[in-house]
Amino acid sequence: MRYDLSLEIGTDYAHPVAHGRHVLRIVPAALPGRQHIETQALTILPEPESRREFTGFFGGAATGFAIRHPHPALHVRLKARVDVNAPKWHSEAAILLQNMTGALAVIRSVAPDMPHHFLAPSPRLPRIDDAIHAYAKESRDAGPDVFSIARSLMQRIHADFRYDARATTVDTPAEQAFQLKRGVCQDFTHIMIAGLRSLGIPAGYVSGYLRTLPPPGKPRLVGADAMHAWVRVWCGAEAGWIEFDPTNRMLASDDHIVAGFGRDYADIAPLAGTVKAYGAQDGYQRVDIAIADPAQNSHSLNI
Amino acid sequence: MQDALDENQKVGMTAGQRSRETETTRSTGLPLGYAPVPGTFDEMVDASGKVRAHWQALAEALQARPPLENQERFARAERYLRDAGIFHRDYGESGGPQRLWPLSPFPVLLPQGEWQGIAEGLSERADLLERVIADLYGENRLVAEGLLPPMAVAGNPEFLRPLVGIRPASGHFLHFLAFDVARGEDGRFRVLADRTQAPSGAGFTLENRVATTRAFSGLFDRSAVHRLAPFFARFRDTLQSNQHGQDERVGVLTPGRANATYFEHAYLARYLGFTLLEGEDLVVIDGELMVRTISGPKPVSVLWRRLASAAADPLELEEGSLSGTPGLLEAVRAGSVTMINALGSGILETGIISAHLPAIAERLNGKPLSLAAFPVLFGEMEADEDDCTMALGPAFATLPPFERNSGFKPTERRTVRDKPRAVLRAAPGLSLGPALQSGRLVPRPMILRFYAARTAEGWTIMPGGFARLGAGEQPGIFAFHEGGQSADLSIVSSETVPDVSLIAASGTKAGHRQGGNLPSRAADNLFWLGRYIERAEGALRILRAFHARLAENGDPDLPLLSMLTRYMATLEVDTAEPVPRMLLANIDSAVYSAGNIRDRFSPDGWMALTDLQKTAHRFAEKVSAGDDAAHAMTILLRKLAGFAGLVHENMYRFMGWRFLTIGRHLERGLHMTTLLAHLAQPDAPDGADDLLLDIGDNVMTHRRHYSVTTSTSSTVELMGLDPYNPRSVLFQLTEIVRSVSQLPDSAEDRLQLHRDIRALEQRLATAPASEVDADSFRQLEKDLEAFSDALALAYLT
Repeated sequence: MRYDLSLEIGTDYAHPVAHGRHVLRIVPAALPGRQHIETQALTILPEPESRREFTGFFGGAATGFAIRHPHPALHVRLKARVDVNAPKWHSEAAILLQNMTGALAVIRSVAPDMPHHFLAPSPRLPRIDDAIHAYAKESRDAGPDVFSIARSLMQRIHADFRYDARATTVDTPAEQAFQLKRGVCQDFTHIMIAGLRSLGIPAGYVSGYLRTLPPPGKPRLVGADAMHAWVRVWCGAEAGWIEFDPTNRMLASDDHIVAGFGRDYADIAPLAGTVKAYGAQDGYQRVDIAIADPAQNSHSLNI
Repeated sequence: MQDALDENQKVGMTAGQRSRETETTRSTGLPLGYAPVPGTFDEMVDASGKVRAHWQALAEALQARPPLENQERFARAERYLRDAGIFHRDYGESGGPQRLWPLSPFPVLLPQGEWQGIAEGLSERADLLERVIADLYGENRLVAEGLLPPMAVAGNPEFLRPLVGIRPASGHFLHFLAFDVARGEDGRFRVLADRTQAPSGAGFTLENRVATTRAFSGLFDRSAVHRLAPFFARFRDTLQSNQHGQDERVGVLTPGRANATYFEHAYLARYLGFTLLEGEDLVVIDGELMVRTISGPKPVSVLWRRLASAAADPLELEEGSLSGTPGLLEAVRAGSVTMINALGSGILETGIISAHLPAIAERLNGKPLSLAAFPVLFGEMEADEDDCTMALGPAFATLPPFERNSGFKPTERRTVRDKPRAVLRAAPGLSLGPALQSGRLVPRPMILRFYAARTAEGWTIMPGGFARLGAGEQPGIFAFHEGGQSADLSIVSSETVPDVSLIAASGTKAGHRQGGNLPSRAADNLFWLGRYIERAEGALRILRAFHARLAENGDPDLPLLSMLTRYMATLEVDTAEPVPRMLLANIDSAVYSAGNIRDRFSPDGWMALTDLQKTAHRFAEKVSAGDDAAHAMTILLRKLAGFAGLVHENMYRFMGWRFLTIGRHLERGLHMTTLLAHLAQPDAPDGADDLLLDIGDNVMTHRRHYSVTTSTSSTVELMGLDPYNPRSVLFQLTEIVRSVSQLPDSAEDRLQLHRDIRALEQRLATAPASEVDADSFRQLEKDLEAFSDALALAYLT
């Protein structure tokens, strides 16, 4: 499936900001066999005094930039044409949970895709929350294989939690969202990661996009008006990583466009920044994804 | 585990009781009542009870002197620490109270031969650590070859992923290391811990040496003791040679004054001639690390970091770190700055890495390290039969047992096979060394800290260091606030060692480089120090005049006094309080500003300022209104003048001085302007003019220049417009213009600032006295406030 993706992300400041320094992690990743970037254009307004592209540890493209003159707002626009093939998940090869320790022990690498990075505490998930652990344990019987456990946890989160964009912010800790039983894709993703790690299953954060317009006769997916997040789970050396979307109770498909991977949100925040600012800042995000088929091009928004 | 801990405490108690009995009942023939603990290796006394050869000169010299003289000598050391203002905060106690540095002024001695062996072992170890960290942030062959489990890296909170793949600009990750070394029960020295992140104590090592030398001056021949200065000189020269160009600089990066060892950061910066910087002083422009100075951004190419790696960049490392510099990693990636040590080097301190070092050494070097470490055990590793007591703790903890909050507890375990996130670390019995407590020498467990610095020729080890002596006879507590002490570690040669001090060692350029590169934050603190000091002085003068008149009349409702009360209320000073809280607040603020720039203050200046603060707070508790208060204000004014005099006599006349000066004169000008606006009015109460002259210390001058009776116009002339009166408004403006004209002025807003203050001065200088009235001063007050804001905007932000 070919998509025309457009993202607007930025911040309106109550008072002009003299200096701002930011890192963007929004550009879709090149994933051979799954995702190919045909074109992309990234515009930053106002024009930064300096801008540098670099690659994050987990492979995502990052853009660091600094604006050193007073500006009332920051606007970022991304346009990209992405070709996505539905990923094939080898759930049948998933290992048994009881074999996880052994499977981890034979690995002799700390390359970015290796599971050990995704088992330990991470910046936004610094400790195992007892309540989340107790909740996750109830999915252990859905096993004994890791895939079935993860699928059960995903299904339960989808059933037990209410999608509510007002309940949480980007800074809400997972245990708090868990108490609320509400939140958005980021919260569900964090809760599921925390739960899986508490069971000894390596799990990470996927940041990306979800197609806006459903195929004819299918319902519109939730969370498509902003950037999306879902979970990747390590199911053993053979099965590798399998991606679960707890917000939509599905495995990642060709509806999902990957921007990048991390241990949690902090590794792959779309727009991180530090500014010296007085008063409020209003962050915003708008995403539009259209099928790049000429016949359906009329849906695409021109920004 | 709990049982083992209890058992240990019992043992500790028995030993403590035994030693107290010994001290009181038996004379040992050793210096200052020293009594070794039988069966434990003693640093000073051998098994037969004789003083070891390298201690003999010291022991004999002490015994040859009357006890009273010795006590007097030890008191000198403590006096030195106090006078130099050497304080510390306890670890994990940021913002807690400062404590006087707990020094046992009796040095710990080590013969050169023994030190030589340790030094060679540590150099070898430092080289190994460099190879390990280069691999962890590079190829990861150690993991690939099975020498490190992946979890040791990928699960390690000290492994900072954004640094992976970045080669350090200098070519090396490690440049300055510390090692905790101790002698076990078998008499062998072994490594207890590697300190690779941002090791502290090197500055205290210098101060320990100076203080101890004070105590023993002339007592015994110190010519055989190795000096510390050459080590620092070589380290400094190496850092300077890492600079890319002529104008570039070396900075010491501190988390700030709330840090446990801030004193040391300031001390080392001053000692080595480097700039003391905080995260907010720095900005990254086009991949280059710059200091925000009063002359604009200036490049920094070497940063000696005393800040934990994770806190260094809130943008790419720890979210929300307030002490870091956003974008620092961009500069590191661009290779424009050398970090001492590389960000991420804290990983080498974690127990899980230490546990694997012996095997790594054997694989990489083909032989074990010549200086072994006390065992650290992880995973399948098992303690040997003859291994010492072990402690159980988290695998990723960076502090070894014996350190406060290390998370380790004594255990009977010999392996952690069943605990994947734990390590065992040795908590060995240690040798005992002499500690001076209440005039007596007592045996205390000892840990030595050695320092290693990278030079162009490889590692150099400081010939000396820092001894820590435990709180009781059993090793366990070394924390200073729990009774632990530090002592100078001197290396004694068999022959005379050359005498080198750092100042003589290389160039005198250091002082001249300051100037235009003054960080804006330092300038801001100097400016406000000037303002607060002057604000305090202004309040003191008025309060003295107020209380002197109150003492004469006894009636606070006298028109003149109630007018002063109203005036002081506008400054939030309550004259009903004999020593008003706002006065104390101003003095506290001055001390706070000065505390932010300790590296720019002589110990004398700092002592004078804190003495003023202490006295003011003491007075606040006991002084009563009237004569008593007037007298107290006179004392405080004298102390304040003492501080001002020290600054005036001793401070280098450069950019920092100018900001301090501008702050003082601006505040004094504002104070006098406001006062004139209030008092120089036709309807001012009787005595207002005399009062003004009194406050301005100008009664005599007025008598000489004018008739005996005072009038509003003569007062305005003398206090407002007289160019020769150091308290007149015009005098302040002239001084501000003089200082401002010497500030860097490239930018347009700065030139405008210079023009504005000159115009203000001219306006006042040429105004006919008859036309100057209260309104003129009210306008001038506004103009001066506007100037202060503009100055802050142009130079200080």
